[in-house]
Amino acid sequence: MHGFSETGRSFETGRAKVAPGTPPIVYLKGIAKYFPGVIANQDVDIEVMPGEIHALLGENGAGKSTLMNILTGIYQPDAGEIIIDGYAKIFASPVDAIAAGIGMVHQHFKLVKAFSVAENIHLGWAETPKRISAQALEARTAELAAALNLAVRPEARVGDLSTGEQQRVEILRVLARNARVLILDEPTAVLTPAEARELFRALREFVSRGNAVIFISHKLDEVLEISDRITVLRGGRRVTTEATADCNQAMLANLMVGHEIVLSDLRARKAEAAPISAEPVLSLREVTVRDDFGNVALNKVSLDIHAGEILGIAGVAGNGQKELSEVLTGMKKPLSGKILVDGRDFSAAGGAEIARSGIGHIPEDRLKSGLAPALSITDNTVIREYKKPPVSIGSWFRPGAATALAQSIAAAAAVTVPDFSMPVRNLSGGNQQRLVARREMRIATKVLIAAYPSRGLDVGAINTMMRYFVELRDQGVGVILISEELEELLNLSDRIAVMFHGEIMGVLDTAESAIEDIGLMMGGRPAGALAQTSREITS
Amino acid sequence: MSGRIQRLPSAHPTVALLARAAAILLALLTAGVILAANGADPLKLVAQVVKSTFGSRFGLEDVGLLVTPLILTGLSVAVGLRIGAWNIGAEGQFYAGAFAATGVALFVPAPDFVLLPLAFVAGGLGGMAWILVPTLARAYADVSELITTLLLNFVAVLLVYYVSTGPWLDPDGHALATTARLPCELPEFWGAVHWGFPLAVLLTVLVAAGLSFTRWGYEVRVSGSNPQAARYAGMPFRRHLILVMLLSGAIAGIAGMFEVVGTVHRLQGGISNNFGYLGIMVAVLARGSALGVLAGAALMGIILNSGIILQTQGLNVSTVLAITGLILFFTAIGDELSHYRFVRNETASV
Repeated sequence: MHGFSETGRSFETGRAKVAPGTPPIVYLKGIAKYFPGVIANQDVDIEVMPGEIHALLGENGAGKSTLMNILTGIYQPDAGEIIIDGYAKIFASPVDAIAAGIGMVHQHFKLVKAFSVAENIHLGWAETPKRISAQALEARTAELAAALNLAVRPEARVGDLSTGEQQRVEILRVLARNARVLILDEPTAVLTPAEARELFRALREFVSRGNAVIFISHKLDEVLEISDRITVLRGGRRVTTEATADCNQAMLANLMVGHEIVLSDLRARKAEAAPISAEPVLSLREVTVRDDFGNVALNKVSLDIHAGEILGIAGVAGNGQKELSEVLTGMKKPLSGKILVDGRDFSAAGGAEIARSGIGHIPEDRLKSGLAPALSITDNTVIREYKKPPVSIGSWFRPGAATALAQSIAAAAAVTVPDFSMPVRNLSGGNQQRLVARREMRIATKVLIAAYPSRGLDVGAINTMMRYFVELRDQGVGVILISEELEELLNLSDRIAVMFHGEIMGVLDTAESAIEDIGLMMGGRPAGALAQTSREITS
Repeated sequence: MSGRIQRLPSAHPTVALLARAAAILLALLTAGVILAANGADPLKLVAQVVKSTFGSRFGLEDVGLLVTPLILTGLSVAVGLRIGAWNIGAEGQFYAGAFAATGVALFVPAPDFVLLPLAFVAGGLGGMAWILVPTLARAYADVSELITTLLLNFVAVLLVYYVSTGPWLDPDGHALATTARLPCELPEFWGAVHWGFPLAVLLTVLVAAGLSFTRWGYEVRVSGSNPQAARYAGMPFRRHLILVMLLSGAIAGIAGMFEVVGTVHRLQGGISNNFGYLGIMVAVLARGSALGVLAGAALMGIILNSGIILQTQGLNVSTVLAITGLILFFTAIGDELSHYRFVRNETASV
């Protein structure tokens, strides 16, 4: 079910009326931008009208970021014009773009964590008085927040705020500088569903005053929900601009990748696929884990994963998912409780031993723990198999054999690598993730643990990841899929366990569960308390 | 013509090498200009330096004697960097190694063929002992080795001053502030250059091979580059850290042993000649590569030898230190600049 396009229309009423003949607030005309050997943008024409939320869709590398960097004055176009309110402008630097009323909220916030909200709002702003007391600064911030209808706590330290609150500070920071065009890059990636709804309300309110929003996202459902018009970019060019009411998910996905992709129905098995095993292959028994700060991060968690099934782990990030994946892969030792692999106790085993027992791990943050960014692609791809022939013979490491293995993994991952001695950080995020996934799949003979595998990837790469998991499942491997994308979980998993505050609120059969129930459990309601449907809980 | 500057995530090796060469040339040019401003004739000085260094066998032998300890202290620092540790204490470990080797040579009655290997082992163990506390503090309490290794240098310097002017002072009184001449010495390899030189080169090649062609070397590379990834792959990060830091200390200690048994023949204060600190520079010039240490040490050795020649021409010792400082400074700038490239805009946007 992907019926979100229906809801898109109901927002139409919130749109500001535009008088006929009003020029677009932003008109990008024939924009082109070239990098050595790469066409980043070519012949891009986009009109953004006052009162409009304009979504920008495209895969990684489709040219969205370059285009927005041009509009915000970070890059200068090699051809084409930027026309604001009917007047051609040249943005030599971001300062010019801000002066013209164009502001951007980046995916990774650019806030000073140690500063208060008020200090962050006023940082690097010409209108900030030279000498001012902290109280006066906070009062100014409160005024701004009230005027722009964004609730923030001026005195709070940014580091203490939730991501949703930090995002509000970022938006306030941009709007305070009189932005009339707000560019948001993947704004909901870090938000809970409730926070996202709040953001959408604020955006609607903002455009109803004759302003405009450019909304960059990979998530088709929310683009359909929030935007008025959608522009799809592919290979640096504009494919089309459509009224959202005329779009649906399948059509947009096809436009983005340029070929048909299957978004759902991944739960269906082929006849020859391995069946789900009767006995669990990996189990947690009352496992308690502390996080790095000594707080209880997992509280007596029990969980079974069977061979040949995909178990989804739903929950808002930060509710123990990281620790769950770490304890399952031997990176963290449980404080109490047991970890069983095929019934054998592995509670005291380290990462290498767990990996050897046939458990692969796609970690949450590939650059932080799954890869050594400064080392070569070869060194990074053989990290799971360097102890075995052919890469090692006895205690000898064979660089030639390592590169050969890296080449075959890269080929399986469909990643073209010009030079395997190049640092792995030079690859794009999607290609890094493909390599990590293929590397882990090779050793995952029993279980693969994938933590947020689609984070930061485009539709095409996500689709590849999902295909990989289905492939493993059909081979009789158990897959634990930790994700914040409910739709992804519903499409793929046989069962879904919902985490909240380090506990499993319940394990649901995907076939019988509704997205609303999972949402409620993510908010802390145990499965048993879901009154409207008395459902069997498989645990 | 318009364009802009773009930063690359990693520099192209050729560009990096060219930037290095340009940096060294610029540093020498700057030094030349300053010398000229002070009334010296830089061209004449350069000619003198080249003639005295490469024009005679004595010059080359002098360079060889200087390069030997530099290879080892440079290797010591470079090895530490492989596991992500900054060993600023090669100086102290050098003294500790020289001290231990001297102790063995002076007080163990044995023939040379027993004494020399024994002094070699003692030198290595001395260096290792000197880095032991910083190593354990880093491995178990996450205390920055930068500070601890640096501070222990001063302890080692004072220890060697104390024994060479106190308990181990030459009883025959030939010299005022050194121990007696050691009963054993490293045999000569080429003129005044002792066997420490080929051994230092061999050690460097062995370490480089060990890091590139063993499983251990691979694990050290990954652990040093990203400890989180090592934990993820189940590599024993702490064990590698301890082992590599001890190895780093041992190599610096061996440098001290070679210096006292091969070149100076007596333990005395100031014996290290700043070789430990210059090793940091050699490692930086080598960009952390074990084999690059050989090139870095050769360059440093030539610069040090030039300094000695310049002193005979009436220039101050500090001039040489200033030149080495300039080279490091320009190299750092060059390394950073080699990450950038200029991109011209095909059609100017008007």
